[in-house]
Parts: sequence; structure tokens; C-alpha cells
Amino acid sequence: QATGTDQVVGLGLVAVSLIIFTYYTAWVILLPFIDSQHVIHKYFLPRAYAVAIPLAAGLLLLLFVGLFITYVMLKNQKGTKKAQ
Amino acid sequence: ERGRSGPRGREMEGPTEGEATMTKLAQWLWALALLGSAWAALTLGALDLPSSCREVLWPLPAYLLVSAGCYALATVGYRVATFHDCEDAARELQSQIQEARADLSRRGMRF
Repeated sequence: QATGTDQVVGLGLVAVSLIIFTYYTAWVILLPFIDSQHVIHKYFLPRAYAVAIPLAAGLLLLLFVGLFITYVMLKNQKGTKKAQ
Repeated sequence: ERGRSGPRGREMEGPTEGEATMTKLAQWLWALALLGSAWAALTLGALDLPSSCREVLWPLPAYLLVSAGCYALATVGYRVATFHDCEDAARELQSQIQEARADLSRRGMRF
């Protein structure tokens, strides 16, 4: 059964993803239709970052996944060698 | 013997099903290719769009990626929040284990 912390963490993940989604939608989809002198433009980075940040995040994620996998596989190899 | 026939049977089903329709992977690849070519054509200027539309258009692949990531994150979070024990399944599994133990010990295996 999901405990209290499970529920907090899970709903927190949902909330974070919803916040990111709405902010990113506003940034990418809505902002070009708003007048460029409007105050709202102060709350968003320049448009080039809208592509650069996800790309960098994805590359970092792939890097960490790769590092993790190599680490686990190397550890397993050592374990089997010891067992032999 | 009986236990082994299950997964193998399912393996046999797999390819025939794939031939009849497209596999899930092929469907996704086709949809992505269609979307991607439409996006490329529009960005390269197939139609005369106003400049604000054009500005929305070029980061759309990144937008797709980000929304897929958000969906994945939200799904994981939702499943974590509503995780529950499968007591019926546990009982069924226990009874199957007992059955298998009885069967095996009848055939002379000791635990």
C-alpha cells in the first residue's frame, strides 16, 4: 500500500511535471503571440534557451544513464570473477 | 514441460501478429517521420506563415520532447502515489507455489 511519503512524493512528481509543462507551453506556444514590449517577457529567458535547455538536459540524462549502466556492469563483472 | 510451453507459445504468436498489422515500433516511427517531415517542410518555408507562427514552429520538436517527458514523469508520480498491494494475486501465487511443491515432492524432489 502507498504510504504517506509515497503519496507526497508521487503527487509532488505530478505537480512538478504539470508546472514544467504549463511554463514551457506558455514560453514556447503563447509568448510569440504576445506583444514584445509586454511585461511578461521579463519572466522568460530568450527563446534560444527553450531548445538549448531541454537538449542539454537530455544529453546529461543520457550521460548519467550510460555511466550508471557501465558502473553496474563493471561491478557485476568483478562479482562473477570473484565467484569463480 | 507445461511451464515452458507458455512463453514459447507467446513467442510464436508474436511475429505473425507483427506481419498482419504494423508493430507498435513501426507505427511510432511512421507517425514520427510524418510529423517530422511536415515540420521540416513548414520550417523550410513551404507555406507563407506569419512570423509569430514561424517562431512557434521551430522549437516544436523540443516541445514534443518536453511534453513527452512531462507525461512520463506525471505517470510515474501518479503510479507511485496510488501504488497498492495485490493481495488476491499474492494469495493465488502462494497457492500455486504450494501446488508446485506438492507436485514436485510427489515426483521425488526434496526441498
